[in-house]
Amino acid sequence: MSAVAMEARPAKRGSISKDRKKAMYWSYFFLMLFVLFFLTPPLYMLIMSLKTSGEIAEARFPWWVFHPTLDNYWSLLGSENFQNFFINSALVSLSTVVVTMLISIPAAFSLSRMKFWGSSTLAAGVFLTYLIPETLLFIPLFKIFSWVTEFTGIELVNHWWVLIFIYPTLTVPFCTWIMIGYFASIPKELDEAALIDGAGWLQVLTRIFIPVALPGIIAATIFAFTVSWADFLYPLVFTTSADQLVLPAGIVTTLIKGDVFEWGRIMTAALLGAMPPLLIYAFLMDYYIAGLTAGATKG
Amino acid sequence: MALAIPHQRVAKRGGLRRLARRKSTVAFALALPLIILIASLVVYPALYSLHLATLNKSMEHFVGLGNFEFLFKRDLFWMVVKQSCIFAISAVIFKALTGFVLAHFVHNIPTKKQRKWRGMLLIPWVIPPAMSTLAWFWLFDPSYSAFNWILNRFHLDNVNWLGEPGWARFSVILVNVWYGAPFFLIMYLAALKSVPEQLYEAAAIDGANWWQKIWYVTLPMMRNIISITVLFSLIVTFANFDIVRILTAGGPIDQTHIFATWAFKLGIEGNDIPLGACVSLFMFPILGVAAWFILRDISVRGNEA
Amino acid sequence: MPNRTSGRRKFLKAAGAASAALAFPYIRTSYAAGSLSVGFWDHWVPGANNALTEICQAWAKKEHVDIKIDYITTQGNKLQLAGTSEAQAKAGHDVLAFLAWDPLEKASSLEPMDDVIGALEKQYGKVVPAMEYLGKKNGHWIAVPSPTGTQVKPPCARLSVWKQAAGIDFQAMYPAGQKPTAEAENWTWEALLKAAPKVQKAGHPIGLGLGQTTDSIDWVGAMFHSFGADLVDAKGNILVKKNDAVRQVLEYMQQLVKYMPPDVFAWDDASNNKYLISGQGSMIMNPPSAWSVAKRDNPKVAEDCWTFSMPKGPKGRFTPYLPIILGTWKFSKNKSAAKSLLHELWQRQNVEKMDNASNGYDIPSFQSMRDFKIWQEVSPPQGTVYHYPPREDQTPWVSGAPAPANVANQMYVQSIMTKMIAKCTQGGESIPKTLDWAASEIEGYART
Repeated sequence: MSAVAMEARPAKRGSISKDRKKAMYWSYFFLMLFVLFFLTPPLYMLIMSLKTSGEIAEARFPWWVFHPTLDNYWSLLGSENFQNFFINSALVSLSTVVVTMLISIPAAFSLSRMKFWGSSTLAAGVFLTYLIPETLLFIPLFKIFSWVTEFTGIELVNHWWVLIFIYPTLTVPFCTWIMIGYFASIPKELDEAALIDGAGWLQVLTRIFIPVALPGIIAATIFAFTVSWADFLYPLVFTTSADQLVLPAGIVTTLIKGDVFEWGRIMTAALLGAMPPLLIYAFLMDYYIAGLTAGATKG
Repeated sequence: MALAIPHQRVAKRGGLRRLARRKSTVAFALALPLIILIASLVVYPALYSLHLATLNKSMEHFVGLGNFEFLFKRDLFWMVVKQSCIFAISAVIFKALTGFVLAHFVHNIPTKKQRKWRGMLLIPWVIPPAMSTLAWFWLFDPSYSAFNWILNRFHLDNVNWLGEPGWARFSVILVNVWYGAPFFLIMYLAALKSVPEQLYEAAAIDGANWWQKIWYVTLPMMRNIISITVLFSLIVTFANFDIVRILTAGGPIDQTHIFATWAFKLGIEGNDIPLGACVSLFMFPILGVAAWFILRDISVRGNEA
Repeated sequence: MPNRTSGRRKFLKAAGAASAALAFPYIRTSYAAGSLSVGFWDHWVPGANNALTEICQAWAKKEHVDIKIDYITTQGNKLQLAGTSEAQAKAGHDVLAFLAWDPLEKASSLEPMDDVIGALEKQYGKVVPAMEYLGKKNGHWIAVPSPTGTQVKPPCARLSVWKQAAGIDFQAMYPAGQKPTAEAENWTWEALLKAAPKVQKAGHPIGLGLGQTTDSIDWVGAMFHSFGADLVDAKGNILVKKNDAVRQVLEYMQQLVKYMPPDVFAWDDASNNKYLISGQGSMIMNPPSAWSVAKRDNPKVAEDCWTFSMPKGPKGRFTPYLPIILGTWKFSKNKSAAKSLLHELWQRQNVEKMDNASNGYDIPSFQSMRDFKIWQEVSPPQGTVYHYPPREDQTPWVSGAPAPANVANQMYVQSIMTKMIAKCTQGGESIPKTLDWAASEIEGYART
């Protein structure tokens, strides 16, 4: 076999590299096309955000800005509404991340290493909670929270912190799943060695698992943050007053004064609102992708 | 040595057994928050919505399956079912195809450059969908569409992106594919990298062309990941709300309504919570069937392995 | 112990009764005190909210009330959602703005307002009939009209385009500061249909929305009624298939849509504004917010705009009326303060102040207040909105009337009239099939 292969390879070497080169050029070409397609909306948002209302209304040349202005940015950053939205989003997202990690990591640890009655079903089943999407749950959740508000007086509607209760349902299953994948791939010898050395389970978790699975944890954190930042349906249903809104719901409803459009400002707001996930992604891209694909290759 | 090992083993076994008994309570305690979260905020509301679906509009009387009867008689309901299925299935197919094709392209270029391209291509998935959909909304706007502006430059007619049922459906699917394809790209790229190079070389020696390589080497190796991503995406796409709500709010003439947006319109806007719950619930059987088929596929192969 | 609690309870009851009695002359002498949270409609006209905020804060200072003001938009139906969720949760604002049919639908959760209206009617005369229809349940007022936001949606057209292309001079027909001329009698739906192809040929088609938001629903509702094409009568009988006028109005629309841009079916509340401001459109049906923004962004278009009455139909001239209505929930903890605020808002000088701030957008619900100077002063062009507030020649009409409130509310929320038009035009269905579909839909609206 190897003799044949060695004989075959020199004969084919020239054509392989020519084929490879052709494949590479075609790939670049198509990649450029797709990048153009993928990046058109964000670029358009950027262009629009630099235009004045007058220039937009004129509609002379939508793909370039002739009299760029940073007015939209300044007015937004100074707008109380926008500041509120941003702060609310930040508070909700960060809190959700913390809550998610506090729930997911111990659970993943337990499900990947220990056994209790039902643990294997739970490990497989945690992912199945996604079969019950938020668009099925928003109505009963709304009714349940309304009922609790009515009977206990604790206002569970129209407050941004209500979202901290609900968002973990979106983030915990996936994060747990990622973590299980990571934890399961840590060799058992490591923790058994630690146990023999007299370490307790908590120490095993904090001294061994978390450091080794750090990439996975970072990926899960990024995922949880991005999902919390971006959710639209739950805030739409649960928050009404302008000072309780988070960015997605706030930008779409309150910043657009329907009848009276301010599209430059809306695009600016959308761009600014997309900044935190984008920035995190730009700096931690590798972790993000590694975490997502952990399931692909390990699961 | 020979004496030492049995001692060790005995010590280990005894210690582990003690540990094992403590293990399950600790394990349970660690997993408890997860269990509570899912039980109270996922399972309980889901069951509660079953109960809600059996009430009348003012939620004062029990009407059993009356709401479902009411829905099944309406054309609009079946139209929403059809639309949701078409939307979800076609969007997922296109997303998977696009991701698959793109993964190959990225795989073909030198590894050093891949990071940059991959980075740019993932951006649609990172931007919150509510915000990027706003950009698309403006790009499709009846009066100010930048796309129509380009078409006009080529002396082509304006396209009624959001106002005509056919185009509206296309636009909604397009935005969904734009948003979701990067996810598939990333997953498939990782899976592609894990396919051993020797398999391709062996196939090449056997005279396989690029198409046969994909069919006989790539796809079988990636079956698992393809199944999982397709299932995940089917669920998420089927339950999509943001894109349709912001682009068309279900119009024109309800031709782009999917379960989520219609449930919102009936349940929250129309003040008929039980009916909205019914519509939402109808998603579940369809999703369950899809999940069963795909998961069965995975576990069968799991058993084979 | 039991004796003490029952004694305490009796005392509290007596105290409560006493303070209620004290609260009755709340209008002039009492201090409302406490805290109040209000949710007003977020005004389309830039800066219009400020006048309302000032008035509320002045009142709050006088009455020693800690007031919290929210402006909630109707974009994305946010305001309507607020109403629904607060009704469900029995928690929320003390005073909230509602649209059209909502108060009647939620009447059982709203605090009766006979006292507030009674006092106001003594000052300013009766509330206009259209508003009375929507604010009264079983003879009792359950809400108070809102001084801001109540609007009509008459045509707003580009004078130069219509003069040149169609030979119709709206400014002459509806001169500023005067009654409409005799020529205005010829301003009918037929005249509109005849002129539409001419302005379309000139490159500026009319744009009347046929989407699913209030701008589209309101004008179509007024049009249906002016043809006599009521879908449901006051008793709840479904007339869709029995009423010939319904067929007529659908046939009329089949003709008219040919002369409108094809994307009107996807228009939301902002689309017709954009259409006019961009210079493309020659006529929309909208309150003056479009003109207000054109003044800022495209002054050449703004100078050419004129607002006037709706076309006349076989059954009369009806202008699309969208009232914003303020209600107080029964579960509110500070109803006396709420009522005091509502009374204050309707004092003539305050109403005028708010209307000035909105450039004349708001239509007061008392006929006696429809003579503010703002409608004559707003310019350019001078008098452009003089004919915006409905006077003798037009009757305000809410889309869905005269159907019973719960049916009308569903008709409104589900935008059935515009969907009917869309079905038999863009949708390509025959009128009989469309009527069948509409009848079955409306049957479903009677759900309880």
